[in-house]
Amino acid sequence: MAVAVNEPVAAVRPVPARHFVRLKLRVLGNNFRGQKWRVAMFVTGVLFGLWFAAIGFVLFALPGLADEPTYALLVAAFGGGLVVLGWVLLPLVFFGVDETLDPARFALLPLPRRSLVTGLFAAALVSVPAFAGLLALSGLVVTAGVIGGWSAAVVQAVGVVAGVLLCVAAARAMTSAFASMLRSRRVRDLAAVLLAVLAALLGPLQLLGVAAIQDADWDRLVPVAEVIGWTPFGAPWTAGIDLAEGRTWAAPVKLLVTAVTIVALLAWWSRSLESAMLGAVSSGPASTTKATAGGPVAQLFPGAARWLRRDRFGALVARETRYWWRDARRRANLITLAVIGLFVPAMVNFGGSGFTIDEQGISVTEGSSPVVVSLSMLFVGVLAAVTLANQFGFDGSAYAANIVAGVPGQVELRARMTAFSLYVLPLVVFVSLALTVVLGEPGWLGLSAGTLLATYGAGLAVNSYLSVLGAYDLPETSNPFAMNSGAGVARSFLTLLSMVVSAVAALPMVLAAALLGDVWLWLAFPVGAAYGVGAALLGAYLAGDVLDRRQPELLTTVTPNR
Amino acid sequence: MTGEQPALALRGLAKRFDSKVAVAGVDLDVPAGSFYGLLGPNGAGKTTTLSMAVGLLRPDAGSATVLGHDVWADPVRAKQLLGVMPDGVRLFDRLSGAELLAYHGLLRGMDPAVVDRRAAELLDVLALGDAGRTMVVDYSAGMKKKIGLACALLHGPRLLVLDEPFEAVDPVSGALIRDILQRYVTGGGTVVFSSHVMEVVERLCTHVAILAAGVIKRVGTLTEVRGDRSLEQVFVEVVGGRTATGEELAWLSQ
Repeated sequence: MAVAVNEPVAAVRPVPARHFVRLKLRVLGNNFRGQKWRVAMFVTGVLFGLWFAAIGFVLFALPGLADEPTYALLVAAFGGGLVVLGWVLLPLVFFGVDETLDPARFALLPLPRRSLVTGLFAAALVSVPAFAGLLALSGLVVTAGVIGGWSAAVVQAVGVVAGVLLCVAAARAMTSAFASMLRSRRVRDLAAVLLAVLAALLGPLQLLGVAAIQDADWDRLVPVAEVIGWTPFGAPWTAGIDLAEGRTWAAPVKLLVTAVTIVALLAWWSRSLESAMLGAVSSGPASTTKATAGGPVAQLFPGAARWLRRDRFGALVARETRYWWRDARRRANLITLAVIGLFVPAMVNFGGSGFTIDEQGISVTEGSSPVVVSLSMLFVGVLAAVTLANQFGFDGSAYAANIVAGVPGQVELRARMTAFSLYVLPLVVFVSLALTVVLGEPGWLGLSAGTLLATYGAGLAVNSYLSVLGAYDLPETSNPFAMNSGAGVARSFLTLLSMVVSAVAALPMVLAAALLGDVWLWLAFPVGAAYGVGAALLGAYLAGDVLDRRQPELLTTVTPNR
Repeated sequence: MTGEQPALALRGLAKRFDSKVAVAGVDLDVPAGSFYGLLGPNGAGKTTTLSMAVGLLRPDAGSATVLGHDVWADPVRAKQLLGVMPDGVRLFDRLSGAELLAYHGLLRGMDPAVVDRRAAELLDVLALGDAGRTMVVDYSAGMKKKIGLACALLHGPRLLVLDEPFEAVDPVSGALIRDILQRYVTGGGTVVFSSHVMEVVERLCTHVAILAAGVIKRVGTLTEVRGDRSLEQVFVEVVGGRTATGEELAWLSQ
């Protein structure tokens, strides 16, 4: 080459983690510039974070403040364990992770993997949920201090900080690993892992629930708490308490368990980061399975949508149906929905009031009721519908095609509901059937299906509004769990709000189950189905009008800034 | 086609983002049957102008009219006459090329049989038939441009608005796209496209407008704008470029 650059920069200076933190803060700050509503969302998010943190703080400090040392271990192990679990599962199910610093952007920089991981980790720590968690769990420091004095408080403080580190590392490692699983289309593995994790929780959660309901012997739970205290779920939170209660040797070991877990999680994260950095562009291997005969139109319509007319509505439904499966982000949503939709009714109806504890141990009794069935179906229906809360965000700038073609808002929304329902309705039938068969109450089939349909329909209506008015852009990364910077907490709040509104809209179904008695078992299905379909159509009609007026604005909000 | 009515008429289109003015009042008349090049450096407001002209971005002020139909007041009729290929906008790229064309055709309310026939023909002419069931997301940049063009052409629009149709396209695909566009104009259609590649514009266009800093600086037929110089000379003069002195970046050479 004629042009020779002098020489490569000789010694590369190591990049300290604080650079990543500063970069994240700068990106966050620039996002707020001139965007008043973004600032407002963020402030709302911070306030909610503080509110939950305060409640958590009081709960965790309660055993100390009330001077009830017997409960200290229970609160630390179970409460702390739940927090870790939340950090692991919630990003997968609802909220995603804040990916202000997309790892793929660092792919070209000569960064050693170690400094990249520590840097991204440090940046991930700077977030509202992490601070809120730290604040809430600091309550344990008070507890440990009251029981065991200064030394216990100091050890507990170290434990709490390490525990929050563990939470963040776990969230990052899990989402990153699941993302690469989704990319490689190992969907069944993913679903299996999720189911296994949830199923493993079933036992402890039920014990806790039973004890709470029956106000039974709390001492029975102490052995369980001790065991949890030795796992990564409880180790960081119980170290100081152990010291306070005189098990001095346990504290350093538990801190060590925590440290080893953090390192292991970071190592795991670092491995899947590699694939995230390289695989940012492709969506995975193209499906070249069958060279379908037939013209382009025939190819567009998948099997489940064959019955549709070959017109505008049909094309929209067909495209959406294909997208729910082909787009990794949407597929992730479908899978979690299926897993949770099966798990929650099972847990609520076979557990909850279903177990009793007596002298012989644990025994199972029939404990479900029409009201409990209705409530669990309400949850599934709400959860299914909230998947559509940011349906236009999934499309991103591709939505421009529909605007250019002049698709009316009502057709658009009805088609999207129909396509999603092609996946949800079989789930509804299956969940209802499975539940009633296993409960041995086939008469409740109408009840559970009816409630589910009513909630789902009402939820669709609420979420079509939300998807038009509260849409936001999703980053174009390979991580289907990635959220855009900043407003994560506020977004989650919006999602929760929509779930509450949908649930309230469907509450009459539960009330009817409670008040009407056996007549309702017959009426629930027709009434629920009519209510659901009616609500969904009304929602599409009203929200479609809003959409007609807001199409260009909606496109702007869902287009990722580059 | 009425000879007098412009295919596209923009009147005082303006748009500001936050504090930055992207487009500051653009007036433009695109005569029917013309091949119109919108030139401008990066960031001049070409994409913003075209987005407002086709109904993808709401202007702060001004109007856009397609063959007599206001894009914002009478969108249904205007959009039927329009074929659009935006730049920097994703296609529904998790569909195969054939599926994407079928989707666009049905979305435009076309008869399925016609969609099938035209889509197959377009795929064949644009040499995309070999891609088979490959998803558009896995297409190369040139193939993406070609399938985007096919989507814009499928319903037989009277006016084609193309944003950077020749960017990131290899010479073979570029020649093919040029051919198709030329045939389309010969057949009575009108093309408006943005570009900053002077050679292409000089070779194709009957009319040219130069946009810089959100304002039209020069407008007219190609010969009017160019005079007796090359288009590039005019362009650089209008936009006001900087010429290298040879002093800076000395460390690049040894």
